[in-house]
Amino acid sequence: MKASQWIWLPAAVISTAAHATTYFSVEQVQRAIFPGASFSATSLPNAWRASNGGYVIVDRVVGKHEYITLAVGIHSNGTVKQIEIMDYKESYGYEVREAPWRAQFVGKSASSPLQLNGDITNISGATLSSRHVTDGVKRILQVYETSLKGKR
Amino acid sequence: MDKKFGAARPYITMSMRRCRSVALALLLAMFASAAGAEESMFAFVYTTDLLPQGKSEVEQWVTWRHQKNGGFYDQLEGRTEFEYGLTDRLQVALYANYNWTQAFHNGPFGATTPPEQFADYVVGPDDIFRASRFTGISGEAIYRILSPYTDPIGLALYTEPTIGKNFFELENKIILQKNFFDDLLTIAFNFTYAPEFRNLPGDDDPSVFNWQEETDANFALAASYRFIENWSAGFEFLNEREYNSFNFTHLSNSAYHLGPTLHFGGERFFFTATALWQMPWATVHSDTVPGTLVNGFVLDNDFEKFRFRLKAGYTF
Repeated sequence: MKASQWIWLPAAVISTAAHATTYFSVEQVQRAIFPGASFSATSLPNAWRASNGGYVIVDRVVGKHEYITLAVGIHSNGTVKQIEIMDYKESYGYEVREAPWRAQFVGKSASSPLQLNGDITNISGATLSSRHVTDGVKRILQVYETSLKGKR
Repeated sequence: MDKKFGAARPYITMSMRRCRSVALALLLAMFASAAGAEESMFAFVYTTDLLPQGKSEVEQWVTWRHQKNGGFYDQLEGRTEFEYGLTDRLQVALYANYNWTQAFHNGPFGATTPPEQFADYVVGPDDIFRASRFTGISGEAIYRILSPYTDPIGLALYTEPTIGKNFFELENKIILQKNFFDDLLTIAFNFTYAPEFRNLPGDDDPSVFNWQEETDANFALAASYRFIENWSAGFEFLNEREYNSFNFTHLSNSAYHLGPTLHFGGERFFFTATALWQMPWATVHSDTVPGTLVNGFVLDNDFEKFRFRLKAGYTF
């Protein structure tokens, strides 16, 4: 095999380093959740109000080794529009980024149970990340309920 | 799951050989991106955390055992391990075990006494004993029944057969784990029942070997707190008991070890280091060998005053 044929191997190795990735900045995640909206600051440093009445709240939860940063988009009626994992630095458990799993949170509100193995399906092999992201969304919805709901 | 296979796009126009190299690269990428670390939080105590299905890891262990009654005594135990997650609940592993030791006037009444892994060697009381050997191969299986992340407590069962020259052991554990403070604090408890056979030279005629039965029954407790990202620290506490039977009769030794543990866990690499000092809490039991209990320290067989273990692992 010619040496040039091994040129693909570094590319393959580099591709495996993609786990420690920042997927969204705050501005990018705002645009991803509420496309076309403009955003203004709120009384909370990690929450922004969208021009359509919704909110984007960013928080971090404990991962296996490092923190996982997530963003929750909340409709003006207090239900979840979308969640996004903004960065993920673990060697596995990154299945929490998959759209079908994240879609389980759509429509949830502060009154939802948000229990892993209850209304949120666990990802076998990524249980710690699944639980902490679920707990993180629940905590963000509580923050919205107590600190942001109904405020202009 | 995001995989960035930047190498894949141009392969339509390539020769077959180049296609094969790309396929190899892709396979490597898929395998490496599927790999993941489920590292050992503690050096001696096991937790219920296992590798997810299809993921693998290599670990290297080094254990330094140091100092007995007098003279000098050192033993370095090496273990090289390959772990694989058969399912999300079942992890298997294979170990190669090898030892080096030096001992002189370290045993009862000042006699040179080889460590347990070299107990089938015939050594004179005033010999300077130095030896190294491949001690055997171990297999391991851990099955998790309850997860500490979704159940009130984590529970797993463990079995590890080891076979070597003049030696066979079946180590079994019950592993419990409970986490607190958003899983930043990990507490684990192990009960170990490890019956073993050793073919040893007879006391009256060292040229005649006899198979002898012994059981290690250990209790172990450990706690570690993740104080900053990637780093955890805590302690490990072991009570190791040796019986000259398989049924908890003929207790010969019971020793207590306590010391700090430090753990680093990164995306692909981890290490864990624990130093343990024997506590002077040992007492005489029915089968305690005369001269092996000194000032509250048990120094028989595989007991020593100080031990240090380093584990390092890498995913690939």
